[in-house]
Amino acid sequence: MAERQLTQVLTQLKSQSSSLSYADASSLLSKAKLLLLQLNALTPASTSNPTLLGLARETYEQGALASIRAKNPDAFTRYVSQLAAFYELPASALAPNAAERNKVTGLYLLLLLTQGRYAEFHSELEALSTREDGNDVEGDRYLGYPIRLERWLMEGSYDRVWKAMKKGEVPCEEYGIFSDILTLQIRSEIASSSERAYPSLPLSSTKSLLFLDSEGAVIDFARSRGWIIKDGQLFFPSANAAQEAGEEAEQEKETSQMIIENTLGYARQLETIV
Amino acid sequence: MPGKTPDKEPVENGGYRGGKDMEMKDKDLKPKGKKSIKDGDDEMTVVVQPSKASKQASAPPPNDADGDVAMDDLDKAEDGQVKVDPIVQAINDIKSNFALLDRAVVLFDARFTLRALRSISSIRKRLTPDILAQVISETFTTASPSSHIAKALLTAIGRPDVSLGRQPGPEMEIDSDPKASAKNGVKKETRDNIPEIDIFLGILTQVILFDTKQFKLGFEFSSYLAGRVQSLNRRTLDSLSAKVYFYYSLFSEQLAPLPPSPQSPIVSIRPTLLAALRTAVLRKDIDTQASVIVLLLRNYLLTSHIAQADLLVSHTQFPENAANNQVARFLYYLGRTRAIQLRYTEAHEHLTAATRKAPSSACALGFSQTATKLLMVVELLMGDIPDRATFRQPTMELALHPYFLLVQAVRVGNLEDFETIIADHVDTFKRDGTYTLILRLRQNVIKTGIRMMSLSYSRISLRDICIRLHLGSEESAEYIVAKAIRDGVIEATLDRERGFMKSKEVGDVYATREPGEAFHDRIRACLALHDESVKAMRFPMNQHRLELKNAQEAREREREMAKEIQEGDLDEDDLGGEFEGM
Repeated sequence: MAERQLTQVLTQLKSQSSSLSYADASSLLSKAKLLLLQLNALTPASTSNPTLLGLARETYEQGALASIRAKNPDAFTRYVSQLAAFYELPASALAPNAAERNKVTGLYLLLLLTQGRYAEFHSELEALSTREDGNDVEGDRYLGYPIRLERWLMEGSYDRVWKAMKKGEVPCEEYGIFSDILTLQIRSEIASSSERAYPSLPLSSTKSLLFLDSEGAVIDFARSRGWIIKDGQLFFPSANAAQEAGEEAEQEKETSQMIIENTLGYARQLETIV
Repeated sequence: MPGKTPDKEPVENGGYRGGKDMEMKDKDLKPKGKKSIKDGDDEMTVVVQPSKASKQASAPPPNDADGDVAMDDLDKAEDGQVKVDPIVQAINDIKSNFALLDRAVVLFDARFTLRALRSISSIRKRLTPDILAQVISETFTTASPSSHIAKALLTAIGRPDVSLGRQPGPEMEIDSDPKASAKNGVKKETRDNIPEIDIFLGILTQVILFDTKQFKLGFEFSSYLAGRVQSLNRRTLDSLSAKVYFYYSLFSEQLAPLPPSPQSPIVSIRPTLLAALRTAVLRKDIDTQASVIVLLLRNYLLTSHIAQADLLVSHTQFPENAANNQVARFLYYLGRTRAIQLRYTEAHEHLTAATRKAPSSACALGFSQTATKLLMVVELLMGDIPDRATFRQPTMELALHPYFLLVQAVRVGNLEDFETIIADHVDTFKRDGTYTLILRLRQNVIKTGIRMMSLSYSRISLRDICIRLHLGSEESAEYIVAKAIRDGVIEATLDRERGFMKSKEVGDVYATREPGEAFHDRIRACLALHDESVKAMRFPMNQHRLELKNAQEAREREREMAKEIQEGDLDEDDLGGEFEGM
């Protein structure tokens, strides 16, 4: 009885996944979770029936996707950790559904990437490489995308990231949600490298450098970062010269203090040893 | 060559040995075929000891190839000398450890236990189920309360019908070492075996099962043994139980499905290990604690549960004065975790310490090779180039060859070479578990490339950079160079309108505080070494009591002297009195 209801809820969730508002989806999801609780299949146990496990996994997967669409990273992370228990199950207990799994994992990777949690990103990646079917992680449509993005971001090939997002390499709509965040991210990265790398930039070419649409947008962006616009050129207020000099003196003082401290330390140690 | 023939024979005989009856038959049979030749051989060289030779012939033969080889070697080496049968030798070796264990219990000094454990590696080569069965049957009596343990041991090594309480063969007792066996006999009658001995025998059983690849059986036996170790609460068992858990986890790793799969039995032993860790911490059992932490880390890393490994490290404290080998292992796994988490500086620190702490002898070569491989990758990731001398070490050269090529590619900054090397050695890298780390090196190769360009040219067009580094497009090159400048890899500026990179003059390193820091690091390392050596100094136990005793004696003597003087004083007083009186 409860199982049939659950199947119904799930089909409803899946068929209208894009049109459903988050409120509706979450009410459906909590209904599904209540049903799972009645069936005692909220978490996998050794005695659970495979069809129920499959249903439970699907519920969580739908929940994860819905929370991504609603831009709710916390809820998404929660669903991912609940799913982890199901993904660890042997194939005999629950037939794996690689496509959905990779989709969720890929989204999780992307989330970690946009939040700058690189340590976790790489831990997750390491886990992927030891999966039984882990030989072709990069070739996978869902998993390859965040992995490539990470590599380009690390290298600094921001134009490739940009192209990948524009040219429709995005595997599905849920991944597209991250594109905005990524664009902002790479723009600020580029801006901070430009501040150091260029003495000045012509206003016209900055537009393409920062992937902005118009010169007006460039001017807005430049103002927000405190850049100076003069004669169609952008100048970066190099970290105030006076402040720098002060810092240097400070550093000098620090260095001599450190040397004195070290030398005193050596003397004390020598004293104790001899 | 007459010596060969008798040595070959045991292999055939060994096949049907299995029970006591058989053995008796063996003993009866053997002298006929074997003795005649061997005795003749021996009597020619050693005329004095005919009884010894006959005893040797009648001893149970080893039934594996290793035993034969050892025997052969022994025969050759000791030709012309008084021979000791390798089997008897092995049995005596095992039994000599019992004395050590006994002393460890009596004196409450773990060093004797460790010595016993160290001898396992030498016994291991000669160990066969039969030898062990004999030792067990001679150590336990049927009447003793621990006989069921002995039964369990015998069942595990596949000799369930060997009876207990057997006295060493009459010939052996008389001939081989009358004193020792007499002592054994006395011991057996006076009291039951201490649990240390049966756990030690249990460990030997684990070793046998592991060497004969009976992993399933070994796993079951180990879980039984681990349970027993848990239930016994004796501080003198600490280092032994550490070993028990070690083999326990080793067995579980060998069982199908093999580790990377989440269904591997290693996942199922985690609760046991965690419970053991908790108990060990509560009992301040440093050996088990260190060993189990290392095992758990290994366990987590095998299934790539990096987050769990990290949590374990952050929630436990690795005992400071753990055995050196455990420290080395712990540092290696810690370094690995940190490397995956991109904390390269920490990883580098741990791995350097691990390679330094690794024993330099050949027996731990695998460990040092693995640790060195990882260390190199981490060094590369940090932007350093490993020392060329590391690759020249004869023991490392072959194993490190793929890494050598890798280092070369990174050093030159040649992206193309780098990609081909990865493609060529992908299997090696995957097996070493360094593949994902090596993939991260790509950006380092690019950075090195850019650095080389910036050092060689005062001005270079982005187009040339793009071509030389095989980057996708000029735009990419521009972003990459800009990032490199921001990250402080190079000192340069970019000109967007004319599309070139202009390098700045490189400052004098000696004007910075860098040399001072390097100097300070080295001195700190030396001082730490000195401190540790001071800490590692050992003093015989209770020596201070002896001194105290001496001091007490001295004090007593002093008191006596004082007394005498006092008495003398009295005399003096008397004298004084007299003087006064005078």
